[in-house]
Amino acid sequence: MSTTDVAPQATGQPDPDEKKLSSTHGGGGWGVWAERLALPVAWLALIVVFGVATPETFLTWANVSNVLSAQVVLLVLALAALMPSFVGDFDLSLGGIMGLTAMTAGVLNVQHGVGIWTACLIGVVVAVVAGALNGLFVVHFDTDPLIVTLGMGTVFTGAIFWLAGSNTIVGIDRALSTATFTTRLFGLSFEFWYALVLLLVVWYVSSFTPIGLRALFVGQSRDVARLSGIRVNRLRWGGFVLGGLVAGLAGVLFLGTTGSADPTATGGFLLPAYAAVFLGATSIKPGRFNAIGTGIAVFFLATGVNGLQLLGAQNYVQQLFYGAALVVAVVLSRQLRRRR
Amino acid sequence: MSDPVRSSAGGTSVPPAGAVPALELRHITQHFGAFRALSDVSVRIDQGEIVGLLGENGCGKSTLVKVLAGVNHPDPGGELLVDGQPVDLPLAPGQFRDLGLSFVHQDLGLARTLTVTENLMVGQTGAASSRRPINWRAQRARTRALLRSYGVDVEPDAIINQLPPVGQALVAIVRAAEELKAYRERSEVARSILFLDEPTVFLPEGEVAFLFALVRRVVADGASVVFISHDLAAVRELCDRVVVLRDGQLAGGAAISDVDDQQLVDMIVGPASGKLVGLAHRRSSDVDIATLEPRVAVEGLRGGRAVDVTFSVRPTEVVGLAGLLGSGAEEVPYLLFGAHRSTAGTLTLDGERLRVPSLDPTSAVRHRIALVPADRRRDGVAPTLSVGENATILVNDSYTRLGRLQGGRLRGLVKRMVETFDVRPRNPDVLMGNLSGGNAQKVVLAKWLEIEPRLLLLHEPTQGVDVAARAEIYRLVREATARGTTTVWVSSDFEELATVCDRVLVVADGAVRAELVDGEITEEAISAAVYHWSTDAAAVLAGQPTP
Repeated sequence: MSTTDVAPQATGQPDPDEKKLSSTHGGGGWGVWAERLALPVAWLALIVVFGVATPETFLTWANVSNVLSAQVVLLVLALAALMPSFVGDFDLSLGGIMGLTAMTAGVLNVQHGVGIWTACLIGVVVAVVAGALNGLFVVHFDTDPLIVTLGMGTVFTGAIFWLAGSNTIVGIDRALSTATFTTRLFGLSFEFWYALVLLLVVWYVSSFTPIGLRALFVGQSRDVARLSGIRVNRLRWGGFVLGGLVAGLAGVLFLGTTGSADPTATGGFLLPAYAAVFLGATSIKPGRFNAIGTGIAVFFLATGVNGLQLLGAQNYVQQLFYGAALVVAVVLSRQLRRRR
Repeated sequence: MSDPVRSSAGGTSVPPAGAVPALELRHITQHFGAFRALSDVSVRIDQGEIVGLLGENGCGKSTLVKVLAGVNHPDPGGELLVDGQPVDLPLAPGQFRDLGLSFVHQDLGLARTLTVTENLMVGQTGAASSRRPINWRAQRARTRALLRSYGVDVEPDAIINQLPPVGQALVAIVRAAEELKAYRERSEVARSILFLDEPTVFLPEGEVAFLFALVRRVVADGASVVFISHDLAAVRELCDRVVVLRDGQLAGGAAISDVDDQQLVDMIVGPASGKLVGLAHRRSSDVDIATLEPRVAVEGLRGGRAVDVTFSVRPTEVVGLAGLLGSGAEEVPYLLFGAHRSTAGTLTLDGERLRVPSLDPTSAVRHRIALVPADRRRDGVAPTLSVGENATILVNDSYTRLGRLQGGRLRGLVKRMVETFDVRPRNPDVLMGNLSGGNAQKVVLAKWLEIEPRLLLLHEPTQGVDVAARAEIYRLVREATARGTTTVWVSSDFEELATVCDRVLVVADGAVRAELVDGEITEEAISAAVYHWSTDAAAVLAGQPTP
């Protein structure tokens, strides 16, 4: 134990076996792998069960494409919910922000003749401002994120109805639908590929960059992060602002997917988004919010609902399934944390 | 509270022949899977005695206590006798209450946002379990009388969070003592046993006396006490008898008056180990740094209890700050790191003058100032993250290529760190929360030393750390200073300061009052100087002889 090897400097010799960070800080052993892969395996099991139960409808390409494409808005909103979650915050207003963006862009385009791309850009800016407002109230004034964003979400919902005059805005420029929903690449809509790229970016930044690690520290142990010189408040603001931005993107995709702006349509998205975030935190990197897990969870939920509906279940099964999934996910992740 | 501290019933550890022990454990063995945590341990606790249960982290102390708490199920073959009557093992959770046992753990188990009165009302004897409406005024009066009867000076309406640590500990012990008293009255027996698990760890040295006075009070009322601790000085002060566990076995036991500290340490650490406490970690006297220019200078630091703190540190020097709680010494590291708000002061670092009030942790780290905080569980480690992640958070920016972390190089770094700092287990993927106190602290130290700090601020760095890890931490800090780090070491353990510091400054009433150098640095001299200068504290501890 000489003193010279205590502090190898940053400029130290390059390591030949440069591996992924996930292996650097991951675990080992069968138990860990079983835990990590539980959700993907459950997804496959769902596919097999529904495939056997309704082979002529469930396993057709049309249905697969439907499941993968129809849930893109949910996936993007779940990624938005992931942003504050990384740094240990919650944002319950993300559904409202998404709807606000869609409505702003829709009203500007249809009622004020603003070009669709400019309208969408303004909508996204509104979303970023909404996220920054959340950050202001929660971080700067140091209040409970659950309560503040619950209130802000209600404010945003009110603003949506005010903008819309309580009507559905129809007649959105077709160009938006063409660029997102109706055009297909490899059999899947454009927006699926957009969302996939976004997911990979979130995954990469959160897992393989120092800022991702810093966010992780803030999320897991805020005091330790602060006393390690990490700019905790800046990262928490960042979580809310990025959450707003991504929710705004989800709003644009929603507008393109439905071709109209319905003030009541975006309310139901928040809960399944959080169900996916928590479900995702039970796998891939158990005990931590992670993008890949979230992505798998979205399609796990979508597959479950789709399969049940093909089996003849009523629409309410969606609520039952999403709600139950959220509760199960939270209980599971609580158990995971307690065991550690 | 005016009991002279030295009034303990030393030498009465041999019970009268034929007396029935209050509690006796015989041949307790405990396996966790293939790991044997306890093997054939037999312990007896007599009525009215204070027994110190000693041992390094992981020696089986907690395992043994958890057998009595009904958490652990020991292997068949062990016996438990309470008052000479056999009780079936394993115990059910909560059954200890019916046996007249009570536990006060390090975290105290108080509702921190409630008042003292409310905390004392919960429990079997409290008003909260009655069905009658609560008369708050009567409750408060009752609490005040109760606290006074134990000689505890705490305001009944105070919120637990706002009490100093010693006040919180006293309230927790009073609550446990009241439960035991109620038990004795209810079952009409004369014995009951209070288990104190590391109660002094987060208490400053000067305040421990209050706790000891209370414990003696509880014993005088008719309970026995088992005192689990790392703190040999506290054990010597309080206990009649010690029982030492090592590697899950009974390593020995003795009346405290029959053993000296060296014999105790030998029992705790074991014969094969060469790690001694009390081994000097000061620099060898042939290196004279007194002539060197200071590398760090603090002037007029003001904030919290610190009013006007001025001192300087020379290159490679370890300067100790000694003071009682409230002296301001314990604020200095946090003020200099920008973690607590200061109102005035300058810090000169390698000739660069910084305004301390405009420092924040981020800029402090950028100036290569390091802080090892006292509250390790809250401020030091992220328990849900791995050892590797904790150890590299400060430096991982430098381990990137095109913005991407280089996992292989990071892994190599962490491996070297856990080797050099002797972190056990060696696996960097273990979650931080699973490490023992000593190993966790080594990781914290490794994390900070990796940035080659210019100024290393340590606050109670060996709290809750076992004897061997403590010596290791002394050595690691000393090695870091050899590379030029200047160190400010704030501790209420004056023996520790005497062991590690090149120079000790006495802080009282918010300012540096005296300086001890060279041969003056002994535990007794530091203690004498601190009490001499701490006018307020001297008034509080009026019963203590003031040198």
